[in-house]
Amino acid sequence: MIAVHDLVKKYGAFTAVDGVSLQVHPGEIHGFLGPNGAGKTTTIRMIAGLLKPTSGRILVNGHDLQADPERAKASLGFIPDRPFLYEKLTAGEFLRFHGGLYGLDGPGSGDRVREMLELFELGRWEHELVESFSHGMKQRLVMCAAFLHRPEAVLVDEPMVGLDPRGARLIKDVFRKMSGRGVAILMSTHTLEVAQEMCDRISIILHGRIIANGTVPEVRAMSGDPGDQLTNVFLKLTGGSGLQEIDEVV
Amino acid sequence: MKSSSPLPFPYLLRPSIWASRNRAHRRERGDLMRALVFGGIGLVVTLAIFSGAFWLTWQLADYGELGDYLLRAGLSWLFLTFLSFLAFSGVVTALSTFFLSADLRLLVAAPIAPSRLFYARFVRTIGQASWMVVVFLAPLLLGVGVARCAPYSFYAFAVLTVVPFAAIPVVTGTAATFALVNVFPARRARDFLMVTGLLFAASIVILIRYIRPERLLRVESLPDITGFFATLQSPITPFLPSFWAGETLFANLRGGRDWLHFLALWTTAAALTLLLRAAHERWHFSGFSNAQESRKARFTKLQSLDRLATRLPISVVRRHLLVKDAKVFFRDVSQWSQLLLLVALMLLYLYNFRVLDLDRIPYMSSVIKNVYAFVNLAMTGFVMATVAVRFVFPGVSSEGAAFWIVRSAPIRLQDFLWSKFWIGFVPVLVLTEALTVTGNYLLGVDPFLAVLAPVVVLLMSLALVGLATGLGARYPRFAADNASQVAGSYGGIAFMVAAVLFVLVIVALVGWPASLYLFHQGRRIPISPFQQLEMSACFLAATVISLATWWFGMRTGVRALGELT
Repeated sequence: MIAVHDLVKKYGAFTAVDGVSLQVHPGEIHGFLGPNGAGKTTTIRMIAGLLKPTSGRILVNGHDLQADPERAKASLGFIPDRPFLYEKLTAGEFLRFHGGLYGLDGPGSGDRVREMLELFELGRWEHELVESFSHGMKQRLVMCAAFLHRPEAVLVDEPMVGLDPRGARLIKDVFRKMSGRGVAILMSTHTLEVAQEMCDRISIILHGRIIANGTVPEVRAMSGDPGDQLTNVFLKLTGGSGLQEIDEVV
Repeated sequence: MKSSSPLPFPYLLRPSIWASRNRAHRRERGDLMRALVFGGIGLVVTLAIFSGAFWLTWQLADYGELGDYLLRAGLSWLFLTFLSFLAFSGVVTALSTFFLSADLRLLVAAPIAPSRLFYARFVRTIGQASWMVVVFLAPLLLGVGVARCAPYSFYAFAVLTVVPFAAIPVVTGTAATFALVNVFPARRARDFLMVTGLLFAASIVILIRYIRPERLLRVESLPDITGFFATLQSPITPFLPSFWAGETLFANLRGGRDWLHFLALWTTAAALTLLLRAAHERWHFSGFSNAQESRKARFTKLQSLDRLATRLPISVVRRHLLVKDAKVFFRDVSQWSQLLLLVALMLLYLYNFRVLDLDRIPYMSSVIKNVYAFVNLAMTGFVMATVAVRFVFPGVSSEGAAFWIVRSAPIRLQDFLWSKFWIGFVPVLVLTEALTVTGNYLLGVDPFLAVLAPVVVLLMSLALVGLATGLGARYPRFAADNASQVAGSYGGIAFMVAAVLFVLVIVALVGWPASLYLFHQGRRIPISPFQQLEMSACFLAATVISLATWWFGMRTGVRALGELT
């Protein structure tokens, strides 16, 4: 599970994340929503161990990220919004190297690599250089890497960007299966339909603070209209639709 | 399947090794030519260094104890020069390897022990920061060893001495980077380092001028040489690794051993590495976290540039392209700092003309001056080619991922390319004309050459800037990280080969008739009509070749842009 307590990140005088607390339980898909610049990616990067929090505490499967970063990271899979890939390695080489970083080595690791490549429909590209991959293929390769070491918790930043409908469907199925096996998934997304369809709980962040947290029906109820679409709920909670301004400008 | 113990740190170097292997297996266009050109240049330079070191050591052997003293001091001085270079190189390299490298986003998120990450990055830093010094030192020490018939152990000790010698300044530089990045955000620290690099280069130039090495070339000044080396010694010299390395190698050269200085090198390197590892565990993550912060823009106003551009008699489209390119240039420290460095080197070059005391050879002075004028012309051509490949050739590639804006805008690609040409042509012309006119003025060349040279420079500027712009469009590298990468690409090398050939042809075509004219003028002999015809043909050929190169370059570029999919 992922547990975050009073997380704060300041850049000089600017507070990007201001006291965020949330919990993602085993088997739960938790949607992390918010407008651009609200603090989603900063929060996720802190949980991934890429940014140092100004204050607060992060626990991954019971391991304190600050006190025991290696154990915390070992049980976490991370899918960043702009992932780094070694372009001159083949897909198979990249996955084998990535697996090695998480202690996946020796007999059986090659089978696991092929299994993941097949799962994400990249099997026939195992020996091709990453530089020849399309954006969607790269995205799927990063997901292979994130699930390769059988993590107990997964962080995903914008998973659907650049994926075709088939790819998006595949990812949704994989996420559902993984959560069914007890993996805790924290997923940041702008695609509210995806959040509505997949997430057990959602948190909405605005100006670095969590302004809504709960199941999808609970969040709908917060907006005053339990039957409303999540898009409308999101717009109401984060500051209006802006349609009036659009009319004026157009 | 999960391994019980973490893999050792060399595991983290595997991607680089695998990537190199994959690159070797899957050759790209131009790889062979690049290998031939760079390999050829490398071989020539290596042989030159070896021969120079061999010849000098051989000559010094004739001077007995004085020769030994000079060799010993020379080795120490050589290592001292590299010491500062390695320290600075360590600072710059560590910034990239420990804080800004893109793969760190993957590695830091993985469960890697800090010590493994440290050693992997440390090895990479040492390799990247010191390979140039090692490549230079290898033929040099080999030349010294062969000239002195040194025992085989000398070569083994040379390797064992260079390793800790390179490590010590690189560790020191890396430690400075750790401190710097924890004070400034890393991207701001990079700008700071660019400027520091510039000051470093300027200080080297001033130092070289201060010690005036040209006085060593005078035969009558042999006693000065000992004085020259004596000025380089100071009370702190024996405490520097450069001194330890020099002493160790000198002792080995004579078949002896200097364990004290050898062990001083290794123990210092080991101790500093352990201290750096501790610093890494304490400060690396906070510095890396700082490095994620975005950089603040500089020169955000530049309104005078907008005002100036509105006064130019050019179309709105060209004006906006011009202003955009100028602003991008001024906001990129790596661009203008390199240009400033080039200007500093040019000033040094011109200063050398000033200190040349050619009047000491009264009968030959005017001939040598005019020969120097042609050398100056060729040098100006090479400077022009270098500036063009570094600043003009990457013009189209510098649009990078934003090139779609130009492609989808209702403008002619011809206009776009000509804007790239003019923004490169004006500064290149000003720079090279200044170099030529000032150089010739300081030399005091014949008035005929003083007029001819600027005209030739104008023609060469048109040709080389046109060729660089055109080939830059023909071989763009939109995915390149920086302009240097574009300059080193297949197209960049092809341009350099063509540019050097062009300069040589033009200098020959202009040099022969000009020297004929000077010869006849010096002896007050009239030039025959046939010779006048030959001279005119040469000048005309130089003009036609220059204009044709210009036209060919731009036409190739415009066509290539049109064919881009």
